[in-house]
Amino acid sequence: MSAIRTEQLSKRYGDTLALDSLDLDVSEGEVYGYLGPNGAGKTTTIRLLLGLHRPTAGRGELFGIDCWRDPVTAHRRVAYVAGEPFLWPAMTGAETLEFLARLHGGTDTAYRDTLVERFQLDTDKKVRALSKGNRQKVQLIAALATRADLLLLDEPTSGLDPLMEMAFRQSVTEGKERGQSVFLSSHILSEVEAVCDRVGILRAGKLVDEGTLAELRHLGAQVVEVTFAGAAPKLPPLEGVRVAPAGASALRFEVSGSIAPLIAALASEPVATLTSREPSLEEVFLHHYDHGDGRARA
Amino acid sequence: MATAALGHSSATGRAQLYGTVAIARRALRDARARTIGFAYLFAAVAYIQPVSYRHTYPTVADRLSFAHSFANNKAVVLFYGKAYDLLSVGGYSAWRVGGILVIFAAVFGLLAAVRALRAEEDAGRAELILGGIVGRGSAFFASMMAIGGGALLLWVAAFIGSVLGGLPAGGSAYLALAIVSAVPVFVGVGALASQLAPTRRVALELGGAAVAVCFVLRVIADTSSSLGWLRWVTPLGWAEELRPFTGAQPLVLLLPAAASALLIVSAWRIAASRDVGSGLLRARDSAEPRFGLLSSPTAEALRSERTSMIVWLAGVGAFSFVVGVISKSISSVGISKQLERELQKLGSGSVLTPTGYIGFSFIFFVLAMSLFAVSQVAAARHEEVDERLETLLALPVARTGWLGGRLALAGVATAVISLLGGLLAWAGAVSQGVSLSLPKMIEAGANCLPVAFLFLGVAALAYGLVPRATVGIAYGLVVVAFLWQLFGSLLGAPKWLVDATPFAHVGFVPAQPFRVGAAAVLIAIGVLAGLVAMAFFRRRDLTGA
Repeated sequence: MSAIRTEQLSKRYGDTLALDSLDLDVSEGEVYGYLGPNGAGKTTTIRLLLGLHRPTAGRGELFGIDCWRDPVTAHRRVAYVAGEPFLWPAMTGAETLEFLARLHGGTDTAYRDTLVERFQLDTDKKVRALSKGNRQKVQLIAALATRADLLLLDEPTSGLDPLMEMAFRQSVTEGKERGQSVFLSSHILSEVEAVCDRVGILRAGKLVDEGTLAELRHLGAQVVEVTFAGAAPKLPPLEGVRVAPAGASALRFEVSGSIAPLIAALASEPVATLTSREPSLEEVFLHHYDHGDGRARA
Repeated sequence: MATAALGHSSATGRAQLYGTVAIARRALRDARARTIGFAYLFAAVAYIQPVSYRHTYPTVADRLSFAHSFANNKAVVLFYGKAYDLLSVGGYSAWRVGGILVIFAAVFGLLAAVRALRAEEDAGRAELILGGIVGRGSAFFASMMAIGGGALLLWVAAFIGSVLGGLPAGGSAYLALAIVSAVPVFVGVGALASQLAPTRRVALELGGAAVAVCFVLRVIADTSSSLGWLRWVTPLGWAEELRPFTGAQPLVLLLPAAASALLIVSAWRIAASRDVGSGLLRARDSAEPRFGLLSSPTAEALRSERTSMIVWLAGVGAFSFVVGVISKSISSVGISKQLERELQKLGSGSVLTPTGYIGFSFIFFVLAMSLFAVSQVAAARHEEVDERLETLLALPVARTGWLGGRLALAGVATAVISLLGGLLAWAGAVSQGVSLSLPKMIEAGANCLPVAFLFLGVAALAYGLVPRATVGIAYGLVVVAFLWQLFGSLLGAPKWLVDATPFAHVGFVPAQPFRVGAAAVLIAIGVLAGLVAMAFFRRRDLTGA
């Protein structure tokens, strides 16, 4: 069974189409990265999945349970972390964790203690007195400690320092090993690259690309950097190759398709070093936003 | 070089001035709805009183008998303050308009100052502004100027109201000034409370306590023969000592002027020297965990509303006890037939017996309990605005359960406070030797509930249908319905028109019987509205600010 499944899920706010016919299928045990710039519709998707907002068209299911019609049943198997930590200012961290645990039911308190340790949270402090990052930790610990079948995470690491970011990745990996599914909405590409099996890229309410990291990279351009003994030569224009200067005696090539024509062209030149690498997720991502409107790639 | 430097600094100065003006304008816009609401109230009260006085006491004989009886009645003095001259329209209006509106002016000043100063810091917006080129001084005084603009509007409203009511322009201007003189003083109180308190809520509680103390001092000064000098201690008493229409003492204006200057300057000095976002009274940042009342969202609602409920309980309890105590001093000696008839118009029958007086006073408790019930729906809405509701509903928490729980909690709390009010009024009366039946007084407390439940349901309906407008609609309806009944009956509006407000269907228990039929209808409408509200809430998107 799928952890998340949506069919033509759409949401319109007034004149704005925030989400346009989204079809998602995240299987159980999968870690799915949901990428998109601000305002692309990531949070809208999660609000629809949680039944907080009502779909204008289409439907969504969590473990086969309709998100809008039966949210309470669905939420028993889900834990959610919002991008902004909205908690009760007068409660301490410990009280908040206890409250959220009682409302969710079935929290693993031993694991919660481990997490409090790992994220170095002072649970005696009132939420009012915590910084944004620390409030975010309270939310994260509460969600992770439920060991829910599905973690819905909406930019969960905003406000966390790099050490805590590592603690977060460790916790997600642990969850994955236990068979939990994770839906990670983010615009931190390194985070997605580190933990996700599959990635979807959202742009202006539409899913413009989806696949494993390897698939996405394959579709992107390969990057070849070459330095020369002496000044960089002028090469004839080549099919599928974009060239840019990278210093006085170096060139940088972005190659879509076969690399053979470029190698042939370079054979007669005084090449000093040549490095080739796959595009980073960042380059794949920027590709969708820089190069026209997403249709350009298709 | 020198010219360039000069040009630069004057450009910065101009930018700062724009910044300051921008802050003042935004503060004015923030306060728009509240200021306009108060202005309507001021104009309405200032207009109604002289008109209804002329209408009710057309001859000198009527006025004389009124002056000899009613005005010296402690029960009336409690609400309206001391009367100096009840034989002229001006003197009467100064008493009835000034005595009551000055309390509203104090509340306005307090709310405005806390909103502009502490609430901005609470929300973290003050930091944003002070991070720019606008200095602390400019930001503080820009807020003060904006409130000054609001106070000016209130002055104009009271002035226009009483001129339209037929009072001379000069006297009206002075009366309006006497009323509004309380605004800057309580702006000072609110500004100072905003420096002391770490949160908006605590600031309002501190300031509210100050208003209550000033009011109690005035009550003591006005009702006791030997403690009249206490009037000089409370800003609400200064407004009386200004004596509009009754031998004006404009020099008294120096008192509010000096007091507000002192308070505002001290507030400013503290504001200039403390950390932004903190108060002199530090909130404790850490605490031992207490895990009580965390088992459900409803339990948590009780946990967070507890303090406010206790304050309501104490306030209503204290006032009903005082009403009980004072009811002994009511007597019908020297009351004219005319006045009797006027009071009967209000629907209370005879107010001149202890039970009549208590029955009449409890109408104000009906109003208070309706406001309390509505405040609980406002608190629920607040939970949604602050997006904590999103945190809750992402858990296995049902929407209907959440809203139903909050409404039930509000209903139970309203019932507890109301019944306790009845009990304490009984205790107060009995302590003075007035013979009064306890079951009848419990009934008087319960008599607050039908209208309060109706407004609870209607407020919930507004919440389900138009979440962003919930607070305004809910409070607005209660106030309009109450004034409707009050002025409608005073001005002799047709019965069907007066009957449109739920307040017209409340019996003056214990003087009159509890109206079971009307109560059943009011409660049924309230419950129905609540159920419909839940159906709508189940189907709508969560909606932020």
